[in-house]
Amino acid sequence: MATNEIQGNALNNMGVDKTPFAASMLFPLFRATLWGLTGYFAAAWITALLFHTVIVNPLPATVGYVVGLICWLMGSGVWEGWIRRAFGGKEAPTYTGIERYFRFGPDSKSTAVRYVVLNIITFFFAGMAAMAIRVELLTPDSTSWWLSEIQYNQTFGIHGLMMLLGVAASVIVGGVGYYLVPLMLGTRNVVFPKLLGLSWWLLPPAIFAVFMSPTIGGFQTGWWGYPPLAQNSGSGIVWYALGAATLLFASLLGAVNIAGTMVYMRAKGMSLGRVPIFVWGLFAAATIFVVESPATYTGALMDLSDMIAGTHFYTGPTGHPLAYMDQFWFLFHPEVYVFAIPAWAIWLEILPAAAKRPLFARGWAIAGLVGVSMLGAMLGVHHYFTAVSDARMPIFMTITETVSIPTGFIYLSAIGTIWGGRLRINAAVLLVLMAMMNFLIGGLTGIFNADVPADLQLHNTYWVVAHFHYTILGAVIFTWIAGLYWWFPKVTGRKINEFWGKFHAWWFFVFFNCTFFPMFIAGIDGMNRRIAIYLPYLHDINLFMSISAFLLGAGFLIPLVNLLYSWRYGPKAEANPWGSNGLEWQIKSPTPYVSYPAGTEPEVVGPNDNYAPGAKEPFVWAPTTSE
Amino acid sequence: MTDNSYAKLMDPASERAKRGAFFFLMLFAAIIFAMWDLARFLWGGTAVPATLSMGVGVALTVLMLVSLVPVMAARKKLDQGDDAGIVSSLATLMVVSLVMAGGIVYNWTTLTIGSGYGGIYDITSLWFLVHFVAAILALLASIMKITRTPERAKSERWVSYNVLTFWGGVVVLWVAFFIVFYIA
Repeated sequence: MATNEIQGNALNNMGVDKTPFAASMLFPLFRATLWGLTGYFAAAWITALLFHTVIVNPLPATVGYVVGLICWLMGSGVWEGWIRRAFGGKEAPTYTGIERYFRFGPDSKSTAVRYVVLNIITFFFAGMAAMAIRVELLTPDSTSWWLSEIQYNQTFGIHGLMMLLGVAASVIVGGVGYYLVPLMLGTRNVVFPKLLGLSWWLLPPAIFAVFMSPTIGGFQTGWWGYPPLAQNSGSGIVWYALGAATLLFASLLGAVNIAGTMVYMRAKGMSLGRVPIFVWGLFAAATIFVVESPATYTGALMDLSDMIAGTHFYTGPTGHPLAYMDQFWFLFHPEVYVFAIPAWAIWLEILPAAAKRPLFARGWAIAGLVGVSMLGAMLGVHHYFTAVSDARMPIFMTITETVSIPTGFIYLSAIGTIWGGRLRINAAVLLVLMAMMNFLIGGLTGIFNADVPADLQLHNTYWVVAHFHYTILGAVIFTWIAGLYWWFPKVTGRKINEFWGKFHAWWFFVFFNCTFFPMFIAGIDGMNRRIAIYLPYLHDINLFMSISAFLLGAGFLIPLVNLLYSWRYGPKAEANPWGSNGLEWQIKSPTPYVSYPAGTEPEVVGPNDNYAPGAKEPFVWAPTTSE
Repeated sequence: MTDNSYAKLMDPASERAKRGAFFFLMLFAAIIFAMWDLARFLWGGTAVPATLSMGVGVALTVLMLVSLVPVMAARKKLDQGDDAGIVSSLATLMVVSLVMAGGIVYNWTTLTIGSGYGGIYDITSLWFLVHFVAAILALLASIMKITRTPERAKSERWVSYNVLTFWGGVVVLWVAFFIVFYIA
């Protein structure tokens, strides 16, 4: 009997909730919003009254944010779903139907789907901020009909922070990873399901606060939050710091779950050498997060403390503003690898299945993923060579350039896998190939940034903007969409429209390169980043980049419509449409609420990416006595 | 429609997994304190302000070390499967948390927050205060669960183990804090 049939028989006896959607299911969302806003305003007003100040000042805004966040969480279902029970109260009901998507709960699959939805919404609004930036840059002077210089500064700050922490940090780890990690490891859920559920519910208030920061004065620092400008740039910096810290904390809860689930909850027979490469990538990213993020948390809290408590960590006679840069970049350069390593791992997960070839140099690929995470932990200083100007520069230049070695392992593994194979190029595979191309450009140009003499010229120019957009938008976001397409049948039981998938892949690729490649040229020609005004000789190239950016931005509607339409009307997919050996594809699609039902569990007898002719099936299904 | 029959099925981690994975959270917490312990010398230099009460610092540290006695007693009872037997130990730790919180707040009154040392001391001890508040809530939750739903507490013994692990970690971190901020 095929494995899918075994699973099907077991699952058919489990009768999960099939109740159709009803508006009343949105009650937790409405309650959370009501409680959150009430908590915010009540706490902010009381604080303002006590300290004889106004509600938009940093201290009331901080207290209001913290209280509002707690109230939001309680309203979302954390109270009855977790807290009440933890104190020996009434057992919480388990929602197994569509209702679970709209309230706090322990199901990692619905948490992941919520991540995808929120990532798309955040991407849209942060993308609109990018469009606003490009409108401003249509003309060399500061246009009076659009954004003032201050509004321009706020816009690129919000765009940067939201794209990095609201989108790139969680699109693959959250939307794809949290769904697949338990399935790929052969377990029903992550190690701390409620912590994972909590991680998503932390995001909406944080994202909302950052987007709304202009209402209390905005912030002028960009997404860095550098002092002493932070202390002099409007109360909105408070929501920036709190929002960023909340987003990072949400990522931490996910990282703990990924690491813990991989270490302790692998299926029988799944030795570390047989762990799927995507899970290895997530694990490498998670370790970065657990170890590196404390430096940046402390920086954010100390920055905030300077604003509301009267400390002088970064300002005044005892202040050390350079220390903030050390703390900030201690995580935030490695954070780029938190985005990128899972993307690379998706390449190595998809390509063997698409080429029907074993993953080339699997051990070296794992060494590459882990090696990047280890080396990446030690090189944040290259972001401010122009500030330190001391003996650290050659050390960090060397370490930074060394990262290209483990990255090379990953590329060689990917190329070796498809070399000589017959690659079946669907939309997801096409996007992966494009992401590889884009990241290659982003990576190679990064070498110039890491090189001290070159960096002293290129620092703070559009060269840098082009470089990191090639790595993050060109690689991570392309791969995110590839992942959504590849695992779409797993989540919905349907396939996307391949024609429109490939069409928009090419649309992306062309207009992405038209938008960002000229930025290398503009940067070398002397165009500074983060300014609303530039010299007239740069007008033509900026005009070209802006028009390309508008077309690129408009193009994102294609995958959105494709996903939404296919979710409802797409062709029905068989359980394993790509013929993948991945464990996640050996169960029913869409994934049942209980992915591995009682009575049947997978046992791993080989690596899941061995597509060599005659290779035995990597899994067997064994009866179990567990409940 | 709701159904409770899936709750256990959808939380499949073993006690070993729950207790082991908790160390990732503890590692994170420890690195945060390590950052601030190291930063003490950057902002506070090597001197300790005369206004800071060494007596209170020593007393709080001794109290934390002594609190390991109920921790070890509770762990022994848990190992023996005696959940109800740990309630008095957990209640003792709650009292210790309250005393520690009081001591921290008192020490804030002895320092100027705008000074280099005062700022780093206050923010580090504030972070300890957050941990003590979390400890109070976690201890109270464990006590209430054990007394109100003993069967549930028995099947989720990892929670009590993790609360005790958390406390043990905070003791270690406090001792490091005392050495760095009071002695070094």
